[in-house]
Amino acid sequence: MKILVVDDSKIARMGVIKSLKDVQPKAELFQATNGHEAVEIFKKERPDVVFLDLTMPVMDGYEALKKIIEIDKEAQIIIVSADIQSEAKHRVLVAGAKNMYPKPINGEIMMRIFEQDLLL
Amino acid sequence: MILDDKFVVSYWNRWLAINTQISKDEIIGKRLDEFYPDINYKVLYRKIITALTIGTPTFYDANSNAKFIAINRNKVTTSSLKLMQQQVTISPYITSENKVMVSIYDISELFEAKLMIRKEVEKVHKLNNKLEAEKEIIDKNIMIMKTSADGTIIDISTFFCQFFEFDKKDFLGKNVSIFKLADESDAIYKELWKTIQDKKSWNGELKYKTSDGKEKWVQSRVMPILDSNGELYEFSAVYHDITNEKLLAELYITDPLTKLYNRAHFDETISFIVEHQRKADVNFALAIVDIDHFKSINDTYGHQVGDEALVSVAKTLKNSLREDDLIARWGGEEFVIMLKNVTLDEAKVIMEKVRANVQNNKITDSISVSASFGLTKYIIGEGAKEIFKRVDDALYEAKRGGRNRVVVK
Amino acid sequence: MKVKILNSEFNEDQIDALREFMNVSIGAATANLANLLDAFGTMHIPEIEICNSNELADKIESTIDLESMYYATKQLFTGKFGGECMFVISEDSARNLGRHLYNITVPSGDEINDAVIELTNILTSTIVSRLTQELSTQVQFFVPSLQFIDANSIIHDEDVAEYSKIIIISTILDFQDQQINGNIYILTKDEAIESLKVLIDKKIEEIYGLLKLNIPTCYWTHLKMVT
Repeated sequence: MKILVVDDSKIARMGVIKSLKDVQPKAELFQATNGHEAVEIFKKERPDVVFLDLTMPVMDGYEALKKIIEIDKEAQIIIVSADIQSEAKHRVLVAGAKNMYPKPINGEIMMRIFEQDLLL
Repeated sequence: MILDDKFVVSYWNRWLAINTQISKDEIIGKRLDEFYPDINYKVLYRKIITALTIGTPTFYDANSNAKFIAINRNKVTTSSLKLMQQQVTISPYITSENKVMVSIYDISELFEAKLMIRKEVEKVHKLNNKLEAEKEIIDKNIMIMKTSADGTIIDISTFFCQFFEFDKKDFLGKNVSIFKLADESDAIYKELWKTIQDKKSWNGELKYKTSDGKEKWVQSRVMPILDSNGELYEFSAVYHDITNEKLLAELYITDPLTKLYNRAHFDETISFIVEHQRKADVNFALAIVDIDHFKSINDTYGHQVGDEALVSVAKTLKNSLREDDLIARWGGEEFVIMLKNVTLDEAKVIMEKVRANVQNNKITDSISVSASFGLTKYIIGEGAKEIFKRVDDALYEAKRGGRNRVVVK
Repeated sequence: MKVKILNSEFNEDQIDALREFMNVSIGAATANLANLLDAFGTMHIPEIEICNSNELADKIESTIDLESMYYATKQLFTGKFGGECMFVISEDSARNLGRHLYNITVPSGDEINDAVIELTNILTSTIVSRLTQELSTQVQFFVPSLQFIDANSIIHDEDVAEYSKIIIISTILDFQDQQINGNIYILTKDEAIESLKVLIDKKIEEIYGLLKLNIPTCYWTHLKMVT
């Protein structure tokens, strides 16, 4: 399985990767630090799952989400963001994300994501 | 007190009981709004919820005029605060029961002090504004300069800058000597410098130049400013333009052709000396200079050349003598010279030199003149008439003896 | 007295971690304010800057419009991670806040003051609580002070005359539709910076260390970094 982790913060990416280690220990991981990189890697690698942050430089998560859904409307995208406003969640779900979780994410939540949110 | 999110009171301490005159038996179990309907309960509710959800205290604005619970202050000695100024903190108490603790601190004394400081600050502001306004008037209407102890310009008033036609920034940091004219005597500056180095004020007239070299006379008062150890710290100078007065006065005492002093001034000076007999003044020699055969120059070359000869001799005299020797045009082709602080022998040497200079100086390429000199020394106590008689006699002898010579009497 | 030489330099990982913790904290604060205002706030990436105390006024002034008048609230917090949380909101924004919070067209001076205090309360306590939660420590809050001042008076030079190293963690509060925005600064200095560094390092170790220990090396060969 290919998993793409997108966040401008290294520690935030590491947090996601850490919580993935029990749930998806064999996954092939890709990292991107902004929306633009995320879209490029998505085109090339077609990852099975994308973990996407919202506030990022160059291209933010909202824009990246839109672009990836344009490429593949079945893309399995989970938003992981510090923005925990219900309005933000509403916006990304409308835009095609599978679900949204507040930072930081832990193993337990990751388990739930793979059990409930993703269609793999 | 302890409240829940419905404002029901579950604790009311002794301080509140005493200060509000409501006992805990009366209020516990009841809603706060039954006793205090004026509190903004929408705001209070929001603060309670915030404290409970975030788990940290919330506060009311301590400077607010709206009182949480009005408590009379019975302080008699001041009337600035009638009601107790309160700092109200709402802290989570039992989160599961939506209970918060409301603490009221009396900050009246602090608040009073704050009010007082504000009043004082306002006073200071007002004073400052007044000072600023006055400073501006001074700056725009009076010429003032401030220099450091070594004469470096620290500040100049706007009026000074306007008067001397330059930009303030061009002169800050420069030495005050930039205002001095190149041909101006050093003597007065030496005197000025010596006086202020002695930590005394100096008053006098100075000739300064504007940015484009125009001469200006300023009546100056330079005051030393001392530091706390009594050492020179800065100088402050105030100037007043006297250029016009100075020009008028000069006109009055100057011979228009030669620019030397006129007879009236010389007469006045010598009368003053004779009358006052001051020790510093009476040690002088007097010389009369008469251009030889001046009439024939006028007749041969015309009056214009005659005038040129007068100007030229005047210049030679001036250049051959010292700064403080007094030279005047006596009339026609005659000049009179007062040599200060000299013996008769010294005066003779000087006059011989002057005579040679006159003789060697060319009026035009082909014309030069000579002059005859009568010289004498002032005898202490004698009148002007006596000395002039003697010097006239000497000149007469010089003429008769063949001209172009100095005769001493 | 022993003079301790402080190393106030932060490495990239520490800055990254601090920025991310701040991001999470401001996220929580924005959500709380969004509830209070019934509005949606746009989040911005926090900035972290380390400067000397005499540069603080310039740094603050460079982030705001110098022509406006401002409400500035300062709230002290102490503990292992201690410092000052400052919130600066322009006169216009504060008036909009008062309008929105009290549902009135022309809020009084007292109402605006109270609205600003209220906003600061929620903002600072959420941010700092969340930040300290991320850093696994606790703090004590003090009463906030409110001033209505011009841009040049927010920091008084003589107040910070004593030399210190200061960390400025700053971000923007941005409710576009309501035209409410302000600048949030978390300021901490000297020894508190050291404590902060220790706390961050512990946190980094927690996340990175586990990865290094428990993930087989072959796993890492698959990690690709696009730059």
